[in-house]
Amino acid sequence: MPRHQGARLALSQRQAAIILLLPFLAVYAVFLVYPFFKGVWISLHDWNLMAVAFNPDAKSYVGLRNYERVMWGQNITWAAWASPGFQIIGVLGMLASAFLYRTGRAGKVTALAMGIAALLLFVLPGFHPGEGGRWFDRRFWPTVGNTILFVGLAVPGVTITAMLLAAALDGETRAKAVLRTLFFLSQVLSVTVVTLIWQIMFSPRQGLIANLTELFGGSPIVWLTAEGFAMAAIVIATIWWSLGIAMILFLAGIQDISKDLYEAGALDNATGAKAFWYITLPNLKRTITLVVVLQIILHFQVFGQSHLMTGGGPNDTTQVLVRYIYQTAFRDSELGRASAMAVFLFVIMGGFSILQFVLGREKDE
Amino acid sequence: MKHIVFGATALTILATSAVAQQVTLGRFFGDCEGAGTDTSVSVGEACIIQSIINAADAELEGISVNTLPTDWGNYYDQIVAAYAGGTPPNVHVMHRHRVPEFASIGALADLTDDLAGAGIDTSDWEPAALEAVTYNDRILGVPMDFHANLWHVNMDLMEAAGLVEDGAPVLPSSPEEMMDHARAVQEATGQDYLAADFAQFPIGVRVALALIWQQGANIFDGDTATIDTPEARNAIAALTQLFDAGFANPQLNYADSQQAFLNGEAAVLVNGTWVVDFYAAEAAKDDEGLNRYLVADFPTLFDEGATWADSHIWAIPSPLKANDPERYDAALQVLAFINDHNIDWARTGHMAVRRSVLESADYAALPHRAEYTGTADIARDTPPSRRYGAIQDVLNRELQAIWLTGKSVDAALADAQVDVQDLLDR
Repeated sequence: MPRHQGARLALSQRQAAIILLLPFLAVYAVFLVYPFFKGVWISLHDWNLMAVAFNPDAKSYVGLRNYERVMWGQNITWAAWASPGFQIIGVLGMLASAFLYRTGRAGKVTALAMGIAALLLFVLPGFHPGEGGRWFDRRFWPTVGNTILFVGLAVPGVTITAMLLAAALDGETRAKAVLRTLFFLSQVLSVTVVTLIWQIMFSPRQGLIANLTELFGGSPIVWLTAEGFAMAAIVIATIWWSLGIAMILFLAGIQDISKDLYEAGALDNATGAKAFWYITLPNLKRTITLVVVLQIILHFQVFGQSHLMTGGGPNDTTQVLVRYIYQTAFRDSELGRASAMAVFLFVIMGGFSILQFVLGREKDE
Repeated sequence: MKHIVFGATALTILATSAVAQQVTLGRFFGDCEGAGTDTSVSVGEACIIQSIINAADAELEGISVNTLPTDWGNYYDQIVAAYAGGTPPNVHVMHRHRVPEFASIGALADLTDDLAGAGIDTSDWEPAALEAVTYNDRILGVPMDFHANLWHVNMDLMEAAGLVEDGAPVLPSSPEEMMDHARAVQEATGQDYLAADFAQFPIGVRVALALIWQQGANIFDGDTATIDTPEARNAIAALTQLFDAGFANPQLNYADSQQAFLNGEAAVLVNGTWVVDFYAAEAAKDDEGLNRYLVADFPTLFDEGATWADSHIWAIPSPLKANDPERYDAALQVLAFINDHNIDWARTGHMAVRRSVLESADYAALPHRAEYTGTADIARDTPPSRRYGAIQDVLNRELQAIWLTGKSVDAALADAQVDVQDLLDR
């Protein structure tokens, strides 16, 4: 018996770690790693969801053709100003990152990451079908564009609102505690409930917003079917929905800031908005980075708001990537093609995860 | 020993008879709480079908029926995923237009030789109903109805505009005449002439399709898309002229357009047979809004009569027949029960599929039934296709782009043409 005991104790730290990690690794391998590689494998096949279910041999290997069919086209050429909107932002982004690096306001890695993102924004939108050419799938890139637009509106929206709320609701009073709970409450709702609430809010016939506009003498906006408002509508619903977590992160960040700083600031007449700008904001830099990157990754996967509120319309203006993947897989049964799009989405989100990792490791200057 | 054997046998018999064969049932039509088991009093699609299912559950010996969630919007996605995952419901409802998609890969059980044994007399079905469930000469389902787009009419508004003759609404026979009627309604009552869901479900598509068919054209022929045509332009122009003049609002979704009609804000609502009993019940209420309600066949604005139509049918997955004969028999009995209650389902406003029902006095006595007897003769749909759902979505997107976002008809039809051709080519 004692020998047994001794053998047990003889486990090296490494062995113990492996044993303790094993349950997690098994689950991780079965439910995440395996499905991921299976997804990549499916994306290399012509794979009809229903047909393969009834006859496993109904699939055929097609190499990268699904990727070509989704992302490429006939006679695709590149020009510097094919899509000036995105490309000008790209050029400005590159200039800004160089400037920030030169003036020492951004670290090497930050500047590099920003520069690469800006370069991609300049290069990718430059591709377009030349004379007599066409995209094989004319809806894919506009859908990617919509998704980026959604992320571009929702992320700053959530971040800024959550930060302001956190700054306002930081404190010990009972009212603030109640308000914190209230603002967090929306986060626990499911997307179906959230979209239901906001569909009623936006309804031109019975909605609160329509009633308010009418009260002030305006004619109600038909939010969900008007081209200029549909995207705004799902962004507003999303901000309301996903405010909570960001607010909690900011609250934690704010409570980490030493009170001495505020006291010292107060001596220099920096209170209220001034204190927020000169003390709170700079000290929240890391929290902001974390919130922004988490939100980017989260909102690239937007689905429910678009699917349930606007059905991707009008005229595809709110069609987003995950909804397109979903329709391709389950409405059209084209699993191979859908998987190719999913791999594309993975690459985008993987890029932002790496960015988060890199920025998180960067030393404070 | 003898006692033990007897005892064991008795127990086994008891046990097998006590365990009911459970049949899972997939359907849309929406949810109805407390539908009860009286199939003769429920109102509206959701409650009528649920009362029939509840009655089957109660009355069929040794069978219990379990209804799965009844969401509309994602029904087919869910069914496809369930088939792919090997767990389809034991019986499920579907549309005729989906038969090619499911039947072409052998997903639906061949019921041809088993229907008579279950007490379903296929010779009682209307020929068009039999056709709806037949694929490659085999019967793959049990039809439940014909449904079609109708014109639901507010007679008070029509009368005020002078559009009533011998108690019946006067409907247009050309796009120009439709504009005259619309102007008359607006001038007399200040209300819209026409409402429909042009912003959500493909009801606007079905209206446009009917107008295309009325000119003898269609949106595809075999493997060739034929969308960018003069006929399609005529059909679209007939509708956009109403929107442009302010005689109809394209921005209303299904619920809002229905509410507009029930509030008395539109003289005509284009919607299906499925709401006749509901609107009749709403009109009978003593309140503002819709009071005198009539139904009419979709009018012919061009050369020949045509209105969009489809059928609800019930099917059984092929793996059930192959792997679980007892449950398959139970599922067939559920289908037979639904088939026996065709008259109850027809109360929604849908047209029955069984001749014995169609010829019955009960059927003729259903409210408003006599007002749309012509619909059966003008019922149409696009050609069968495995891509039906995706094609409808293309049309819905591009047509909505025209009337909701001002996309030019040229661009929208060109895009729809390319997209549908891509779908047909895949």
